[in-house]
Amino acid sequence: MKKLLQSAVIGLACVTASAGVLADAVADFYKGKDVELYIGYKPGGGYDGYARLIARHMGKHIPGNPNIVPKNMPGAGSVKLTNWLWEGAPQDGTAIGAVSRGVPFEPLLGNKKAKFSADEFHWIGSANNEVSICATTKKTGITSWKDLRSREVLAGGNGSGSDTDQFPKLLNYVLDTKFKVVGPYGGGSDVVKAMIAGELDARCGWSWSSIKSKSKDLLESGDLVLLMQMSTVKHPELPDVPLVMDLVRSYNSKKQTQMLNLMFARQGLGRPYVAPPGVPADRAAALKAAFTATMSDPEFLADAKKGGFDLSPISGDQVAGLVNTAYGTPDSVIQEVISAIR
Amino acid sequence: MDASLLDVALAALSVLLEPERLFYLGMGTVIGLALGIMPGVGGVAGLALLLPFTFNLDAYSAFAFMLGLGAVTSTSDTIPAVLFGVPGTSASQATVLDGHSMAKNGEAGRALSAAYAASLIGGLWGAFLLGLTIPVLRPILMNINSPELLAFSIFGLSMVSALSGSMPLRGLSMAGFGILLSMVGGDPQTGQERWTFDTLYLVDDLPLLPVALGLFALPEICDVAARRTAISDSSKYELKEGMLVGLRDAFRNWWLVAKCGSLGAMIGAIPGLGSAVVDWFAYGYAAKTVKDADKTFGKGDVRGVIAPESANNAKEGGSLVPTIAFGVPGSASMALLLGGFMIHGLVPGKSMVTDNLDVTYTMVWSIALANILGAGLCFAFSGQFAKIATLRYTLVIPAIISIMMVGAYQASADWGDLFTLLIFGVVGWTMKHLKWPRPPLILGFVLGGIVEDYMRISYQIYEWAWILKPVCAVVLTLAALSLLQPLFTRIFIKKEKVEFFAFSGPQIRLIDLFPIGLAALLGWALVSSFGWDEDSQGAPQVIVLITLAITAITLTNAIFRRGLAGYSEGSALDLSSDLGGLSRGSYNLRVLEFFAWLCGFLFAWWVGGILLASTLFVIGYMRIRGSESVVMTTAYVLVIGCLIYFVFDQGFHIAWPESLVRTLFPELRGIIPTI
Repeated sequence: MKKLLQSAVIGLACVTASAGVLADAVADFYKGKDVELYIGYKPGGGYDGYARLIARHMGKHIPGNPNIVPKNMPGAGSVKLTNWLWEGAPQDGTAIGAVSRGVPFEPLLGNKKAKFSADEFHWIGSANNEVSICATTKKTGITSWKDLRSREVLAGGNGSGSDTDQFPKLLNYVLDTKFKVVGPYGGGSDVVKAMIAGELDARCGWSWSSIKSKSKDLLESGDLVLLMQMSTVKHPELPDVPLVMDLVRSYNSKKQTQMLNLMFARQGLGRPYVAPPGVPADRAAALKAAFTATMSDPEFLADAKKGGFDLSPISGDQVAGLVNTAYGTPDSVIQEVISAIR
Repeated sequence: MDASLLDVALAALSVLLEPERLFYLGMGTVIGLALGIMPGVGGVAGLALLLPFTFNLDAYSAFAFMLGLGAVTSTSDTIPAVLFGVPGTSASQATVLDGHSMAKNGEAGRALSAAYAASLIGGLWGAFLLGLTIPVLRPILMNINSPELLAFSIFGLSMVSALSGSMPLRGLSMAGFGILLSMVGGDPQTGQERWTFDTLYLVDDLPLLPVALGLFALPEICDVAARRTAISDSSKYELKEGMLVGLRDAFRNWWLVAKCGSLGAMIGAIPGLGSAVVDWFAYGYAAKTVKDADKTFGKGDVRGVIAPESANNAKEGGSLVPTIAFGVPGSASMALLLGGFMIHGLVPGKSMVTDNLDVTYTMVWSIALANILGAGLCFAFSGQFAKIATLRYTLVIPAIISIMMVGAYQASADWGDLFTLLIFGVVGWTMKHLKWPRPPLILGFVLGGIVEDYMRISYQIYEWAWILKPVCAVVLTLAALSLLQPLFTRIFIKKEKVEFFAFSGPQIRLIDLFPIGLAALLGWALVSSFGWDEDSQGAPQVIVLITLAITAITLTNAIFRRGLAGYSEGSALDLSSDLGGLSRGSYNLRVLEFFAWLCGFLFAWWVGGILLASTLFVIGYMRIRGSESVVMTTAYVLVIGCLIYFVFDQGFHIAWPESLVRTLFPELRGIIPTI
């Protein structure tokens, strides 16, 4: 017993010491350096806003306190940036990225320009998850998701590859809804305007956070009817809006659940941050820990509140878990999803 | 205006007149002016950078700051447009034609001050219209849906007839070419890649900025470099006199200013129509309506400056409408403003014209005051700026090229932007010198994509019945009239005898290579479109065939009518090209030399980063090409270097491309900047 205790103490000491050495090695590396946070979009959007917010605070939680410099590298919905992080970027932990929630799944869904394997990246974390909503206006007379199966519904789309295009198409396939996707509209807000004006019936693929901030008036006046929420788990603020995963359960089909999971896992990713696959494990771990620490930093929280940013952080490991699950989807299911959203 | 509305408006003004809020409005205005001067660096990047800073301000100050910044970039962008022919932002492309011609004629001061006065009156008029109509605009916009937007965009395309000078066929074929360029990239609806050469860069479509800078700016700089003289040898007026004349010009043409201001506000209020073409609309409108425009436009007519400048400042007020009424941002800077809304707990929609009308009015006032301040500052300095046009070319070119390269690169942080700039520079120079009108090309390029998108939406919802919607029917009829008007005028009003079938023996010249090359390109485009996704083929193929047909007619005309007595090519509505007394051969050789300098710039950039490239270019151009003193060159290098390092590297944090030096010595990253 005494011996056991002794070895435990020695073991613990070793672990602490090596952790200390490791942290020192990481701190030595980062000290006085810049960490470049590349954003896969142009300045001005949601991904850009969140990334700049995090860049202002995360540096002080990384050992060695590097300065985090946000830079924009837009292109092909962040496929360009993800490709670069995979191969072209410095693999030493001084270049990390803010990529779209959908981009990890692009290679799976047959995008030949996406030349990476997302399950091999170091996922650092995400500051929020996004539940996506399918909604219509009161004047259409549609009151429940079941009505979507009995009549044609014009849903506004933002073109190939967008949520508003893919989500209704997949729902048609899996839930027998009768969406007709009309597009390409220039942006989500154009779809909403067309909906208010009566040109369209629905928008399917609409972040709850965006509804709350940009379309609060529609929500409060009761003109907006929320038909279902699309993610893998329900949003705590929306207990009464049916979750798409629950709807498909009545079919009792494993395959259909897998299909929806592959498509909606991205919602859990929110706006993910990622480090290149070649970053040394200790630095990657430090980045993940720093991200998590940032999420509970009072200064960060105050800044986020001031900027109106919704927060519901998930850790890098959780992001990686979602990505890995999706990469484990059987090939036949993936092929079926691809043909459904075409 | 009823009394209560006036009360709200005045109360809003008094809110804004707090010293602190005025201070932020002023600061935004000054930053906006600085960003507008630098070609390619518009207000959007600056706004994104400074957005977090507005979190701590109260709502009125924050909006005053943001609107101030956004509203005046189209005031100061006139400076490079007039002096160098380089549009500072995409809103001043049309200003180049007459503004820069005036500068060449020694009237830079007059052009600038006329532009500022027009900007000011146009901007105020736009804000006034907005303030007057904002309560009723929401219901009107409710009735403008995809088919109406489609009809407006087609009407916009019909402006080609006003922007082609006396060469309607060449104009049409260039417009068709522009539409095809807008289709390069991933098809937004099907994802089919069209003419992308398997690059990731082109999947996102060609960005407007490098295309516009290439078409209009590079050819002008290139010609200055080839003539090897100052942009203008003489000033026609004394400093103050020129400014006064310009001021008088703007006031004398107040009716034109009011009309173009209204046009700008209207186009700004229609989301998606592309605030990038508002200046061309106004210019085209003026070219069609003012007296003797066909003789003087493009040659330095002050009215050609006043029209676009009054419109592009008015559009900012207009684009506020869809933003606040529906949350549909009319421009990128409005999208950022929308972000500011959420931060301050404002929700776009009905409430902005009812409960929160006072907030809306402070925004209108912010735009108005920023316009006054911006135009005032620019006006005060316009005489000094005008002197730049008389500087030696070796003092002007290094700075413009360095900043323009960075500005173009900033569009999407990709080498593709720089290649686009150079390729369109060659295209633009060729078009300018062979008299193929450039404005229709840019019009087609901006509107082509919009037309295709709205056409798809309208067809999916209404099939062809969209044409019969009342607004659409009227607007489309107007478009047809506008397109055919030059022909009608020639046949029925001027009673010209149009000989459709008079031919001479064939005469082929070297300049026919341009249309022949264009036809070959179109043929290739057609062939390579076979095998695309079925939904993506139709529109491009129709446009290719039409453009091909028009190009063929133009070519046949030229070859078989040159021999006729009294044949004249006609004149493009474009800047004149003066060879400075050189023979065509030696002139072209100098142009080639300049393109070699540009290629050298890019090569040095690729080897060791932008700082190295600009340094070598400045030294090389000033010492080898020119004979500037060592002191002058050193000072110049330092100023440009500091600008690039502090503003673009440390301020904007531009993601520079990886240079050869960094690939070979990765450890230098972070030590040597911009590699």
